[in-house]
Amino acid sequence: MLSIKNLHASVEGKEILKGINLEIKAGEVHAIMGPNGSGKSTLAQVLAGNDAFEVTSGSVTMHGEDLLEKATEERARDGVFLAFQYPVEIPGVSNLQFMRTSVNAMRHHRGESEMNAAEFMKMAREISKQVDLDPAFLKRGVNEGFSGGEKKRNEIMQALMLQPKLAILDETDSGLDIDALKVVSDGVNALRAEDRAILMVTHYQRLLDHIVPDFVHVLAEGKIVKSGGRELALELEERGYAWLGIKDDETAASSAN
Amino acid sequence: MKPAPSLLSSAFLQPAGQALPAPLLALRKQRGAALVDMPMPTRKTENWKYSSKYLKLTDEMAASLPTTGKTGSALAVPGYKVVFINGVVIPEASEYPDLDNILIQRFGDLSEAEANELAERLDSTLDAKAVQFAGLNTARFEDGLLIRLKPDAVLDQPLFIIHEVTADASGSAFPRIFVEAGRNSQITLVEEFISSGQEAVFVNSVTEFTLAEGTNVTNIRLSMDGEKVQHIGATGVTQQRSSRFESHCVGFGGPLRRHDLRVRLEGKGAECKLNGVVVTQGTQHYDNHTTIEHVAPNCDSEETYRNIAADKSHAVFNGRIHIHPDAQKSNANMSNKNLLLSTGAEIDTKPELEIYADDVKCAHGATIGQLDKESLFYLVSRGIGLREANVLLTMAFINELVAQIPVDAVKDTVQIRLNQFFDQTFQEV
Ligand SMILES: Nc1ncnc2c1ncn2[C@@H]1O[C@H](COP(=O)(O)OP(=O)(O)OP(=O)(O)O)[C@@H](O)[C@H]1O
Ligand SMILES: [Mg+2]
Repeated sequence: MLSIKNLHASVEGKEILKGINLEIKAGEVHAIMGPNGSGKSTLAQVLAGNDAFEVTSGSVTMHGEDLLEKATEERARDGVFLAFQYPVEIPGVSNLQFMRTSVNAMRHHRGESEMNAAEFMKMAREISKQVDLDPAFLKRGVNEGFSGGEKKRNEIMQALMLQPKLAILDETDSGLDIDALKVVSDGVNALRAEDRAILMVTHYQRLLDHIVPDFVHVLAEGKIVKSGGRELALELEERGYAWLGIKDDETAASSAN
Repeated sequence: MKPAPSLLSSAFLQPAGQALPAPLLALRKQRGAALVDMPMPTRKTENWKYSSKYLKLTDEMAASLPTTGKTGSALAVPGYKVVFINGVVIPEASEYPDLDNILIQRFGDLSEAEANELAERLDSTLDAKAVQFAGLNTARFEDGLLIRLKPDAVLDQPLFIIHEVTADASGSAFPRIFVEAGRNSQITLVEEFISSGQEAVFVNSVTEFTLAEGTNVTNIRLSMDGEKVQHIGATGVTQQRSSRFESHCVGFGGPLRRHDLRVRLEGKGAECKLNGVVVTQGTQHYDNHTTIEHVAPNCDSEETYRNIAADKSHAVFNGRIHIHPDAQKSNANMSNKNLLLSTGAEIDTKPELEIYADDVKCAHGATIGQLDKESLFYLVSRGIGLREANVLLTMAFINELVAQIPVDAVKDTVQIRLNQFFDQTFQEV
């Protein structure tokens, strides 16, 4: 479904991704782990089409089509969804208005008629229950004043609503309490389907207890340095990153300071 | 030697029609005489610094536009209405409320005694030095509307004033309104400025409100004159004890747009809320100057203005708050936020605070920014088109103010105009 070949990307002249290769098939769940600053979010943002990042070489195809030449909204309409590591607050645009506009943009793209306010409300209420968000959130500004955990649940809510082909989840498990982690992973598991792929960035093995990945990759300094099955995550949890010959979280963090 | 300042052309001081009671004719004459030496604003005129270059009056625009044979566009409004055409009230096109305790009269229909009283009060809410052009309106009005609410009178529906200008030939119009709100009375007055025709014209409007104790007045001012209309307008308000004034000014840009809004809180516990939205595009201009005088103690003022400037347009906001020495326990809040939709657009904002009392709460803030890139990316990453994402974010900037407009029909008109603006500003890519 998704094929990333020798992908290089930089931001403000600094190279962040230094040759990523990754093949993801429909129905698979891939986890990406790796130290802070290694380029995980950059990869996620590049796939979603954030033009703050410049792709300097390499290719990405989805369902055989060149993904990189498409505008962000076209990618989304073709089924790319990114759950942001840091969802943006947009006061003045209500969640309801935002999500309805989004759902209808997708429907329009598929040649379907728009959902009216009542139909949409019904669907939104149901899904908000599924991710344990009070429907009153719908009336508030997009992510406005949401707690960290609420923002993450809102991302999953949007994924459930839009039913993407490729769901990229950037640390959707970070900052969640145990109950919320359960809610979010149930949501992600509900997304698992034969025709859908999931790429999730995480630091924690505990998420992988709930969502069992088919593959685990380690991203370090802009490259995938190791790939394996779910047991790789357990090993990383025990031994850190040092045994792979890369700086682990702590040293990476302190050298960044 | 300094070059002589350029003066207001004498063509603008020619006597106008005489269909007014003697005291008003006398007042007009007197004001005209006082303006003989009126210097035209320049870059060096402090309160016209950013706007003088847009003011381009020519002698062809000096004469009053004719009103004969004009019936106005049949604008349907949900409420009472008075139609002005080129500054003159057209009774046939108007629908007055039929209430004993609310008197609505044309200046021309006033008795000598009433006119005398009015002449005493015209301009009393505006400071002639600070609002140079209000005096010109007084020197030139051909007609006007006097609205008097007796004590406890409540107007059950909004009163719409449609100020239409027919720019089929060059000329000018001087619409004038005076509202006298008696004790505990209530009114919502909607003013819509519109125009037809394609010639260059000058509109110089003045609306005054005097609010007696306990009154509640709402004024909505919608400035939608055409592309060739230079408009200088002023609104003056004086407020007595425990009165409340609420204003919603929505303005779309033009070759020159200037509005001075001055509120004097003269009685204890008076309160005003001033909202403003300005939208400019192309090479348009809009300049709002507001002044709130906290004269009496325990008064509250709350001011929120938003400017959105696209293309190469230019918006100006100048907000002055003056807290007098006796005005203890004043509470004044002023916020002005500005959105630049292109790098060629320009916004000038200037808060001016003068505080002479010590026990006051006064907060102000002004920002100028662009649409947030991250927010845009978030929206388009959900499949929302770039154009629609831009519209959502731009609307987000003014949503709150549009939502607060208390008359739905006006809100709808504003939204329609905003949609036109979005269509022209954000092209589908
Ligand atoms: N807009 C930007 N401008 C400058 N540098 C950036 C920008 N975005 C990312 N970077 C840099 O790119 C590198 C990779 O960042 P990225 O966010 O992809 O890391 P990450 O692997 O997601 O880290 P974390 O685990 O902390 O989320 C970092 O050094 C970061 O500072
Ligand atoms: Mg990250």
